Amino acid sequence: MSDGGEAEGTRDEQNGSNLRSGDGDYSRAISRVAMAQICEGVGFEGFNESALDSLVDIAIRYVCELGKTTRFYANSAGRTGCNIFDVVQGLEDLGKPLGFTGASEVHTDCVVSSGAIREIKEYVDMADEVPFAQPVPQFPVIRERRMIPSFLQMGETPAFKHVPQWLPAFPDAHTYVRTPVWNERLSDPRTDKIELARQHRKAERSLLNLQQRLVCNGSSVATTSAEPCNGGNGSGVNNNGNLSLEKPLEAEDIGVSRVSIPPKLSSQAQTEKQVSLLETFAPAIEAMKDGLDSGSDGEKTFPEKRDSVFLELKGGKKVFGEPLDLKIRKAVGRTSSWFGHEGEKDDKKRRVEFILRQSLENQQELPQL
Amino acid sequence: MNGQTSHQQPKDGRHDDDTALTEFLASLMDYTPTIPDELVEHYLAKSGFQCPDTRLTRLVAVATQKFIADVATDALQQCKARPAVIKDKRDKQQKEKRLILTMEDLSKALREYGVNVKHQEYFADTPTAGLDPASRDE
Repeated sequence: MSDGGEAEGTRDEQNGSNLRSGDGDYSRAISRVAMAQICEGVGFEGFNESALDSLVDIAIRYVCELGKTTRFYANSAGRTGCNIFDVVQGLEDLGKPLGFTGASEVHTDCVVSSGAIREIKEYVDMADEVPFAQPVPQFPVIRERRMIPSFLQMGETPAFKHVPQWLPAFPDAHTYVRTPVWNERLSDPRTDKIELARQHRKAERSLLNLQQRLVCNGSSVATTSAEPCNGGNGSGVNNNGNLSLEKPLEAEDIGVSRVSIPPKLSSQAQTEKQVSLLETFAPAIEAMKDGLDSGSDGEKTFPEKRDSVFLELKGGKKVFGEPLDLKIRKAVGRTSSWFGHEGEKDDKKRRVEFILRQSLENQQELPQL
Repeated sequence: MNGQTSHQQPKDGRHDDDTALTEFLASLMDYTPTIPDELVEHYLAKSGFQCPDTRLTRLVAVATQKFIADVATDALQQCKARPAVIKDKRDKQQKEKRLILTMEDLSKALREYGVNVKHQEYFADTPTAGLDPASRDE
């Protein structure tokens, strides 16, 4: 059936129907469909919303009234369960305003001859069977409620004597008592320390590798070996006129004896703040690498290293095109300062880290140029 | 059957009545009412009707359906009886009117059944607006 033209305002009707839904929306909706089907069977082509709602109300009331009357008659006879006679009597009661044949006679023994039943019979015979449009589940659906198990069911005994066992059990202690949770872990301080030191070394090594790669990539020296910083000769220093990176010189070229320098330059090394990228790292890289690889014998490898050449950079302005201005002392001082400490790897590493940190700070300023 | 033993009547007549009743209820079970059984059971349970027999539920459903059908038929008569003719120019047909269940027809039909569903007028545009419909028709 289609919804025909509205003679009345729809909004008011719908609000009214919402207020009227005291029976429950689901059952009302089913009733609406059923009533619409009946109307369609009668011959209507459309309906007004308000009219259909009224019809639904009337139908629901009819059913309830019939049920009430039936129950009344059953109770009058001293029963709680209703039977066919109660229903028929209820039907006759409801049909009385309109009247039906045989209303004046009381049919308590033969129900079928009752006028109401006769009318229903005629209707059943005459009317077309129009079943409900959709399957309707059994409603209202009763939800299975999970009961809290009693003490007996839980297998517990109540803590208090006045609490019987058939009552629901108390909740578990963890639901209302807050207990701190510790991370159970066996900690061996020695292994932790070793692990920590290993991780430190690993980090430093990777950082130095990175710096070394930066150094090597930046240099335009002919050496193309994997470790260009180690290769090359002292003459390559002056070739890098345009580059910011300097090639480290051989110790022999510089002609500096490591033994004599340390006391004088070690103090100067500490004051040096501005260092270029390459010069700082070369000794550090070598020292770290050898220190990491070989372990404690740092002094032996030092002769293989070259002393790096430093550029003295003015404050605030980094000038890279100054290959001529070479200051050797800083790098040597730094390198030589390491020589003195044979077994103090930690001290050496600390200084390396310090250098690295400084260079990192300077490195951040490099892209600005 | 329920409640058969309460009366003391000649058994022959009773037997006929019983068979008639049984036949009637059996025929009732063949007929599927438009109103679903679950809905009827729900409302009957609400009003205190207690019976596990589905035949009685069907009986109530059929009775309700008959009642509503009667009301709807009367409303249809009212709708058809109205002299208003809507001339549909497109179809070029006269007296072509869609049968729509309106509140007016329904209230007229229900008055005979003792149900008063008088709908309030929205605005009074005629002197007879809001008056008793019986006097208005005259």
